[in-house]
Amino acid sequence: MARPKALLFKFPGTNADGETDRALRMAGFLTEVKPIAVVDPSTLGDYRLLVFSGGFSYGDYVMAGRLAQLEIERRLGSAIRDFHGAGGHLLGICNGFQILSKIGILPPASLISNVSGRFVCRWVPLHRVARNNPFLATLPDDFELPVAHAEGRLVTPEPEDAAEYVRTGLAALTYGDNFNGSTASIAGLQDASGRALGLMPHPERFIDRHQHYDRDWAAAGHGWGHYLFQSIHDRLAASA
Amino acid sequence: MSESASYQHLPIRSLSGEELLLLSKRMKLSLTEEDMLAVQGIYREWDREPTDVELEVIAQTWSEHCKHRIFGARIEHVKDGVTETVDGLFRTFVRQVSEEIMAGKPGFVLSAFHDNAGFITLDENLAVCLKAETHNHPSAIEPYAGANTGLGGVIRDILGAGLGAKPIGSLDVFCFGSPDTDPGEIKGEDVIHPRGILRGVVRGVRDYGNRMGIPTVAGAIQFDPAYLYNPLVYCGTAGVIPRWAIGKKVEPGHLVIAVGGRTGRDGLKGATFSSAALDDTSHVEDQQAVQIGNPIEEKKVADFILAARDARLIEFVTDCGAGGFSSAAGEMLSECGGIIRLERAPLKEQGLVSWEIFISESQERMVLAVKAESLPGLERLAAMYETELCVLGEADGSGVLKVSHHGTEVCRLDNRALHEAPRQHRRSTWTTPSPDPQPDLSALDVAGTLKALLSDFAVCSREAVIREYDHEVQGNTVLKPLAGGCGDAPQDGAVLRIDGSEQLLAIGLSILPEWGKTDPEGMGLAVVDECFRQLVCTGANPDRIALLDNFCMGNPNDARELGSLVETCRGMAEAAKAYGAPFVSGKDSFYNYFEVDGQSISIPVTLLLSGMGIVERVEHVTGSTVRRPDSALVWIGPSSRDLGGSVLARRLGLGNLRVPRPDLARNLASYRILHKAIRDGLVLAAHDVSEGGLAVALAEMSFGEKADLLVDGDLDAFDLFNEAPGQVVLEVPLAAREEVCARFAGLPARVIGVTRPGAGRLLISGRIDESISVLKAIWKAPLAAHY
Repeated sequence: MARPKALLFKFPGTNADGETDRALRMAGFLTEVKPIAVVDPSTLGDYRLLVFSGGFSYGDYVMAGRLAQLEIERRLGSAIRDFHGAGGHLLGICNGFQILSKIGILPPASLISNVSGRFVCRWVPLHRVARNNPFLATLPDDFELPVAHAEGRLVTPEPEDAAEYVRTGLAALTYGDNFNGSTASIAGLQDASGRALGLMPHPERFIDRHQHYDRDWAAAGHGWGHYLFQSIHDRLAASA
Repeated sequence: MSESASYQHLPIRSLSGEELLLLSKRMKLSLTEEDMLAVQGIYREWDREPTDVELEVIAQTWSEHCKHRIFGARIEHVKDGVTETVDGLFRTFVRQVSEEIMAGKPGFVLSAFHDNAGFITLDENLAVCLKAETHNHPSAIEPYAGANTGLGGVIRDILGAGLGAKPIGSLDVFCFGSPDTDPGEIKGEDVIHPRGILRGVVRGVRDYGNRMGIPTVAGAIQFDPAYLYNPLVYCGTAGVIPRWAIGKKVEPGHLVIAVGGRTGRDGLKGATFSSAALDDTSHVEDQQAVQIGNPIEEKKVADFILAARDARLIEFVTDCGAGGFSSAAGEMLSECGGIIRLERAPLKEQGLVSWEIFISESQERMVLAVKAESLPGLERLAAMYETELCVLGEADGSGVLKVSHHGTEVCRLDNRALHEAPRQHRRSTWTTPSPDPQPDLSALDVAGTLKALLSDFAVCSREAVIREYDHEVQGNTVLKPLAGGCGDAPQDGAVLRIDGSEQLLAIGLSILPEWGKTDPEGMGLAVVDECFRQLVCTGANPDRIALLDNFCMGNPNDARELGSLVETCRGMAEAAKAYGAPFVSGKDSFYNYFEVDGQSISIPVTLLLSGMGIVERVEHVTGSTVRRPDSALVWIGPSSRDLGGSVLARRLGLGNLRVPRPDLARNLASYRILHKAIRDGLVLAAHDVSEGGLAVALAEMSFGEKADLLVDGDLDAFDLFNEAPGQVVLEVPLAAREEVCARFAGLPARVIGVTRPGAGRLLISGRIDESISVLKAIWKAPLAAHY
């Protein structure tokens, strides 16, 4: 069985590429991290998964993810959307979720300043809403992950859109404790196909039990985050 | 704009001492009359006049900030009427002590004092380093930008250590006036209220550290009216490096390359600005000395440096900190000599005169020496990571630093002259105060006192600040600043996993300025003990701990203030020697005093003692929070009747009590036994007893909310609230309690209680019976209300 290949984009200010790369490799992916300056449409080649990891692309001094989106469009044109349309998978974590939202692959939504107006680094309980998402297949309905962001409050064009996302499962994940004030407590969104997932929490920071704040945590064999990478790896490996 | 050098010659050879001093003041050189006379002597010998560029370079190089001249001074110290000569504080109390320890531990310290940060061995392939600096003056007048660039600067120190270390974790320690200071009490027009300083500084650290993707994992905040006018901001960063990349050397023919941000007028004369006192004109006159931070620029530089290092394209690297190109190039070319061409430096704006380009402290710049054949590879990497690179000059083996601007030589300095500042001679005194008698605590309301201590600014939770920092990025923060069953209980230190190693890095720190007000030597002893103890509690091997000393003080020209510094150094050195923990790096900051209404307000001598320790296996990592409802609580308690410096004494208004002194040999013995017990799996949790004493330590241990704590040892108010060094509380399995106590035979260790299932209560000796969640709420509230 060929190991699926994942490509991580690195923008100036992307900073979670190292641990995301580690998590992908641990799940069995072959990975490559590429600075955006050396990426062109031909780069996407035979990758099965494109990953936008956490950080502060271009400093997030204008709306988070906006400059990265413009740079992607300048360098890659429609290549990302074409990749997705042709059956490719995409994952955006934290700043990567913000970027994915801007590219327009996920249902319409924006990630704006937390209600507290502050950066928040903590752990948060999560609930899995999406039933058939290939990234969440081996996760239980309730689990927890760390979060760390200042702009993670999800808002939709109309408030009732959010409820609709939850009803249809496009809201793949919701917070058990809505600390940032997201509409309908949405923590992550998927597209209709489930091949693209964006989430604010950081699965790459909880791969093994030593990363948990409680020395006695033993709810699963690995950290919950590992199961996200494992799920998508197994799905892609099986359909190779 | 004309394409030519912009500089002038300044005739100084015929000036009198007074005129020289006037020139120094006019140019803001911060050089004394003696220094200026030495400069004059050099130019008389050379038979020419200096250029303004040369004078600026000498001023930067000889500034207190860069040269640490007070730590090098010969001091006549009078202690209680007895005179002694201290042949340099650094030499006597830091270097000699460390060299002795290192000689007994071959292979532990891989580099100390001469590089941007000192390295210790992690394993056969990797080494780790830690560096801390202050950014006090800039943070006083512009809190956000000052703290922002303070952290940015120390991160560059790590990037410029060896051939480039990877920053893996940061610490930040602040000393502020109390956040509830009455604004009417503040003298001086533009002095910023402590709450404004707190908010600005925290956000400055947050926005640099978080954007760089470096977890901020450790810290402390001291609140004391003494810091109202001179807040202190310490920033530190740890790094990891492959051992092959520690050595660095410039050779003739190497190109000198600058990479990163452009050069502008921001941050002119920061080094000399920070070598003078603040006054109420500082906010207007010294704004230009505060730099502007751009963390994304630095992130790109960091990615570039680490990639270039691994491609073996770097021969030498250092950061542009205080003094800008002049000190970076000066350091790089000090032995080899070479030429720097100022017109090659990319500028933020046109019209900078020659000296401005050379000493600007614009941020996010690194200077490298590389082989000519490495240039194409470096240019490829710079394009890949979108950072700017220029060839500034080259090393030539002449031993002379030459600077040209559009073809005109504007500076020509023999580096031997440059690096020999006149040695200072100083006087200091210390008179040991006679302490007041011990208070009578027999009527003290113990339960009420515990609650008051938990809500004291010295003790209360720092959660509001900690959660603004990303302390988990990089995914390696195994022991987090807040942990335990609910993820919000305080820990003794932070422990970081290191990619590519089985071994881990622990970071601890101690700062006890209150102790030093009456007993600076006792403070020096206690901070080393506390930092060392924290590291052992988190699981570090006591034989593999290295320390950093970061001093701040007021006016070194005041003999009593300088005397307090001497005594602090003495205590610190004695404890470091006893514990076998060498210093590998350190920094000092003077002139932290403020002049207003003809009065001079100084900070107390403040020593931040931080340390790194090696935790040899992830299983050794130990938190501070109770884990089981069926354990025993063991108190390693060299208890004391001395309450000097304690939070209780401060609350009672007792400012002159005897400060507890540690028994260093016995403490070290118990730390070794503790470490062995951790290795043998006998310790579930370990918490050092510090601010607030034993009662507060027990309350903090209970905040995981996994068990009731029932403490029934024979404990009086002194036992519960003294802060004597050496104390630790352990949670051990009930079945192991006798074995653990037996291991500590002959040392003050005993079982004082148990944990049990229950409704969440802390019970101590029949005098305290409180709900843990209520205590936690009391502990969490105070700072959150002000931040």
